[in-house]
Amino acid sequence: MSNKNNAIFTIAVLASVILIFTVADLFRGDRIFSETENRLLAQRPEFSAEELLSGSYTSDYEKYVTDQFVGRDKWIYVKTKTDVLLQKKEINGVYLGEDGYLIEQHLPQDYTDGQVDKRLALLEPLIEEWDAAVMLVPTADNILTNKLPANAPYYDERELLERAAQLAGEDRYVDVYAALREHRGEEIYYRTDHHWTSLGAYYGYQAWLETTGMRPYPYDVENMRTVDREFLGTLQSKINLNWKPDSIRYFPETAKGPIKVTYDLQRETDTIYEEDYLNTKNKYGFFLDDNHAFVEIDTPYRLDKTLFVLKDSYANSFIPLMMPHYQKIYVVDLRYYNGKLFDLMEQCEPEKGMDVLVLYNCIHFLEDFDYR
Amino acid sequence: MVFSSVIFLFRFLPIFLICYFAAPRRMKNIVLFLGSLFFYAWGEPIYILLMLFSTVVDYVNGRLIERCRGSRRAVIPLAASVVINVAVLCLFKYSDFLIGTVNDLAGTSLPLLQLPLPIGISFYTFQTMSYTIDVYRGDAKVQKNILDFGVYVSMFPQLIAGPIVKYRDVSEQLHDRPVDLYAVSHGAGRFCIGLAKKVLLANSIGMLWTDVSGRNYQEISMLTAWLGIIAFAFQIYFDFSGYSDMAIGLGEILGFHFPENFRYPYISASVTEFWRRWHISLGSWFREYVYIPLGGNRKGLPRQLVNILLVWMLTGIWHGAGWNFLFWGLWFAFLLVLEKLFLGKVLSWLPRIAGILYTLVTVLIGWVLFAVETPSGILGYIRAMAGVGGLIDGNALYLAGEYYILLLIALAASTPIPRMLAERLQQKKTSPCIAVCRLGEKVIPAALLVLAIAGIVEGSYNPFLYFRF
Repeated sequence: MSNKNNAIFTIAVLASVILIFTVADLFRGDRIFSETENRLLAQRPEFSAEELLSGSYTSDYEKYVTDQFVGRDKWIYVKTKTDVLLQKKEINGVYLGEDGYLIEQHLPQDYTDGQVDKRLALLEPLIEEWDAAVMLVPTADNILTNKLPANAPYYDERELLERAAQLAGEDRYVDVYAALREHRGEEIYYRTDHHWTSLGAYYGYQAWLETTGMRPYPYDVENMRTVDREFLGTLQSKINLNWKPDSIRYFPETAKGPIKVTYDLQRETDTIYEEDYLNTKNKYGFFLDDNHAFVEIDTPYRLDKTLFVLKDSYANSFIPLMMPHYQKIYVVDLRYYNGKLFDLMEQCEPEKGMDVLVLYNCIHFLEDFDYR
Repeated sequence: MVFSSVIFLFRFLPIFLICYFAAPRRMKNIVLFLGSLFFYAWGEPIYILLMLFSTVVDYVNGRLIERCRGSRRAVIPLAASVVINVAVLCLFKYSDFLIGTVNDLAGTSLPLLQLPLPIGISFYTFQTMSYTIDVYRGDAKVQKNILDFGVYVSMFPQLIAGPIVKYRDVSEQLHDRPVDLYAVSHGAGRFCIGLAKKVLLANSIGMLWTDVSGRNYQEISMLTAWLGIIAFAFQIYFDFSGYSDMAIGLGEILGFHFPENFRYPYISASVTEFWRRWHISLGSWFREYVYIPLGGNRKGLPRQLVNILLVWMLTGIWHGAGWNFLFWGLWFAFLLVLEKLFLGKVLSWLPRIAGILYTLVTVLIGWVLFAVETPSGILGYIRAMAGVGGLIDGNALYLAGEYYILLLIALAASTPIPRMLAERLQQKKTSPCIAVCRLGEKVIPAALLVLAIAGIVEGSYNPFLYFRF
């Protein structure tokens, strides 16, 4: 090849990289939502002279073009693969742990004592006025410490738990931390998702029995039913690498007998498990139909006892295990419920009174626990 | 608009280049001027007027100097040019710093102006001043065509992050420049390498500095502190020299030859040498238009030392209106004076590696002044580097594990070794070597381009570091 042809060839290669993607980008459609990133993508901004002069039009337009760029998911995959090649053990807030465990990163500097004070202060009236039991579930980074990358930093939730235990007292504090630590060799967290598994929830249930002194229901750990073997959860989405999927399992004992579930006072069904979710990306939504502001469960057990749960999504796989102990279970997710909490509780409370349970994972508790 | 963005690579650049190469030779400057205005206005829709004002003012001053040629009155338009440029720079860049200082010293509470800093203002005011000064001295011919002059000031490749191109370096090319295939192909490759330096190295390693700098310096170990500041040193080098590579490459594509701006600064064996290798266009600007007019080294040692002090204070605050930048400049002035007095001699007796280590340590301390900004933070950080918070902890080991490969790549890339290996390969005339070279010339820039695009689209961390320049 002559020098001249050589130069032309170099130009052609680089120019075609730019031109191919430019043209391809001009012919793609806009997307609203990115499933892999689990977020809304920027849309074409409306033009106005004012926004143009302030500079916000052009910066919004850049966000729009970048978010909608052709093959965005594949580009992100290339970038992630490069990070893996560079031996990075943390990608997009997810640790690539041992044994294929993806573990969500919570940095110590992101959580302050002030936050702990504030959330515990909100917990206090529930303990004093409603005698609420407190179940704060540690996240995987605090339990599966041996699976974290060497020396990886994580927010130590033990101080929060100790203070919560002091506040609630022995009769009300459920020591999930100890229970999960004891079983940390088992599959108590999903490898690809930030939730605990039904087995993890079962050990939480045992801790709850210990605190409340209730008679255990004989769940059979050996005979859990598997409903899905292709679960790739939120953490796999964040890194978007090919990963070995999880299985979703549940205790078949919790699907026995006539059950009535009412979602948000509107939709009634006869099961706490929604199989439709198994065909979507959000398979964890199988448990209690994902998240609702208010759920009422009439269990098959005629016990004349009522439970009122304040919770995050960790509770969705736990609540089924509580059914043998109550006839009626109310479930409130404070992230979606806008009314006055104590008014609602008074309305729900039968004459005989009810048990109250606060169930959050520690991080959601610090970030989200709030009510009017 | 910045180069490392989807909007530049896949909207502005292809459209602009198609127009530019489709245009007949005499129309190329119009295309370049309009393209550059669009490029600048995209990020600074209002301040484009300021740039145009600066252009017109110095165009007129240049013409006036030419008209007064031979008479003493020529100094008036020259003075006007310098005063107006410096005043514009002071107003937009330094007014709040000065007001704040007055408030602190006199206990007054004068309101701050809070003007946002126009991007690139420090670059283009310096460029236009070099023009009027050169015309006054007779080092450059006056430019009568306002379009050609407008192209010089606004040219998008070096507009927002340098290099600072002196007018006389490009005056011929402004008027007329041929399209040269070899230059286009070379420039395109250079652009890709610059883009990769910015996106793949600077941005990735910058995350390490962002992590460390956000911590409480009382609690970080010595290793963490060193890892952090080394990461910053790599970040600013690859970011800045990457921008320069992109500017020089784009210039070549358009037919310009811009001066080199960086020559492997981290292999310098003295601070004096470092400043001959780092941001060369700024150093040579200050040398030519401040240091030498002040007398340079021709008026005795005491005067030379004062001149060094002055020039490096200016160099310091050129990088940002803040005390830390002033101290950063003074730190180098101090080292340069030491080297002039005796340290330079001592270093010349020692093996080169000792000089390199001394330079790296002093430059890293300099980067602490540059990057940390508050006095208490700077002291805390330097104490951490000295080992007050312990030598090594788990956190440092974690960070080292996360970044060691990237740090090694950055280390290799900041030395001339990769280039020397490539050149050695090129000199071998055997046919497999030639084939490897030919292939590498195309595949490496293209591969870097693709990886850089991935980094840009993912876009989790892509800062513009020169917003204070």
